[in-house]
Amino acid sequence: MANDAPVAEAIDLGFSYRPGEFAVRHLSFSLQRGEIFGLLGRNGAGKTTTVRLLSTLLPPTEGGGRLFGRELRACGRAERARLGVVLQAESLDFVTVEENLRLYAFLWGVPRELARARAEEMLELFELGPVRHRKPWALSGGERRRFQVARELMHDMELLFLDEPTVGLDALTRGRILDYLAGRARQGLAIVFTTHILHEADRLCRRVGVMQHGRLATIATPAELKRRHRGARSVEAEFDRELAPEEAGELDRLLLEKGDSYAPVERLGGRLVFRARNAEDLVAELARWAERRGLSIERIAVQEATLEDAFVSLVAEPTGAGDLPSGHLP
Amino acid sequence: MTRLPPVLRLVVRNFRASLDPITLLVMFGQPAFLIVILGTMFNQLIPSVGASSSYVAFLVPGMIASQMITGAVLAGRIFWLDRRWAMVEQIFCGPFLRAEYLAALLLTTLLFSLVGVGLMALVALPLAGLPILSATELAVILGTIALGATFFGALLIAIGGQIRSANLYFTIQSLLQYFLIFISTVYYPVTAKTPAVLRAVVYANPLTYAADTVRDAFTHSFGPGDLTAGAVLAGLAAVTFVAAVVSFRHLEFGPVQ
Repeated sequence: MANDAPVAEAIDLGFSYRPGEFAVRHLSFSLQRGEIFGLLGRNGAGKTTTVRLLSTLLPPTEGGGRLFGRELRACGRAERARLGVVLQAESLDFVTVEENLRLYAFLWGVPRELARARAEEMLELFELGPVRHRKPWALSGGERRRFQVARELMHDMELLFLDEPTVGLDALTRGRILDYLAGRARQGLAIVFTTHILHEADRLCRRVGVMQHGRLATIATPAELKRRHRGARSVEAEFDRELAPEEAGELDRLLLEKGDSYAPVERLGGRLVFRARNAEDLVAELARWAERRGLSIERIAVQEATLEDAFVSLVAEPTGAGDLPSGHLP
Repeated sequence: MTRLPPVLRLVVRNFRASLDPITLLVMFGQPAFLIVILGTMFNQLIPSVGASSSYVAFLVPGMIASQMITGAVLAGRIFWLDRRWAMVEQIFCGPFLRAEYLAALLLTTLLFSLVGVGLMALVALPLAGLPILSATELAVILGTIALGATFFGALLIAIGGQIRSANLYFTIQSLLQYFLIFISTVYYPVTAKTPAVLRAVVYANPLTYAADTVRDAFTHSFGPGDLTAGAVLAGLAAVTFVAAVVSFRHLEFGPVQ
């Protein structure tokens, strides 16, 4: 396989658990070596099914795809040996944390000495050293999740699927894990990452795909997505004095005439907060109005849209099932 | 370092990861306890049974044959726990074929059964002694255990693959275990005085064929009936094996309770 060839491709991929009920449909995207691709979507949007399809756990019922250049349906041991998968469900064996790591490495055929060294590395990296002799079910939720990711990293891989790997983790631990994964991606590991913590995806992913009702509603870089679907942004303006009631009323009427793209959120003395679909227009409007009124604006701030804003705006937009884009790469 | 073949890696993992000493003690301790208690108590009441010189000599081959159920129950438990804790899904994401996972479970069943056979023989030795077996007799016993282990192991795997509730699975497993052992010739012989209906049920039970064959080997009295028994066991093992394969092909992932 050429170095620039996709490690994984979905080509009009679909799967139905029951005839006529598609969990995933018309999915098309590809993943390059070293890329971190985020799969976002509401619960039940089809993210886990997509991971199962691309990791060959489920056979496509429609369309297809490729894994390391081989058709998904024809993939077997050789392709799966190059994969790592951290499932959404907790998976564990009934031995201690350390034994679990080494046993998993044994299953993957990792030589014993290497497995021992890696187990130490993972125990330290994922801060599992103090609980290494505990059985996994005796761990806290966050420790179990860390254990799950650590165990998968015991073997070599070229493509890693992470299905909500950071659920229940504190911010510091999440940061460490994300930094580690970003480092591995720089070394060439491709990662498919599903999460509901969108600023993680913003920080980590080169591109994100937003799934809705089993389809890819869009694929874009986080920055592009924020630009395209940023929805309303927060605009905060502070005048040099408190607005008189008639001034406040006039401003409300003025903005109301402009349609429903501005919405006052909060007013406290001379400080006003709005939600605006077009923040730049609102800023200009406020400036003109203040000048006419002889007021001066002491401070004005537009809060940039987050990926979460864009996501909410995107999934809240009414879209007919038939008119969604296929999700081909930009 | 040469890596073990995938099936053997899975078998090693089954032994290392899925069983705790207390489970093993109960599973193997119970039949051993029965040999000692039932054997000793009934020996006083029943002087001999058929070709067996004493009740305990009759009981031991039956208990040895029943180890195929012990092995199957242990392997079924591993499979169920693997489903419950998503290890089936995790292993299938790895460099393994479903057929290898199934083969590893059946091999685990067989190995547990053989461990059980050895333990029962050890327990029986001071009570009833053990006959000196010819190579053919030993091979027939091991072959019977292998077929029986495949039958019961595959049956429990086929059932376990289609059930999403632990309560239901373990209830079915206990009932099967209970009926198969008690409605067989493990503890008592079938004679002309046995009611016809009960006799029919007993001979519909594969464990009966296995117990009778092991018993015939112990009493050096192989006959054409043992060939039929072997053929029946092989046929049933093939049927449940196919059922397990089908169950695996339709295995649904996701939470089980």
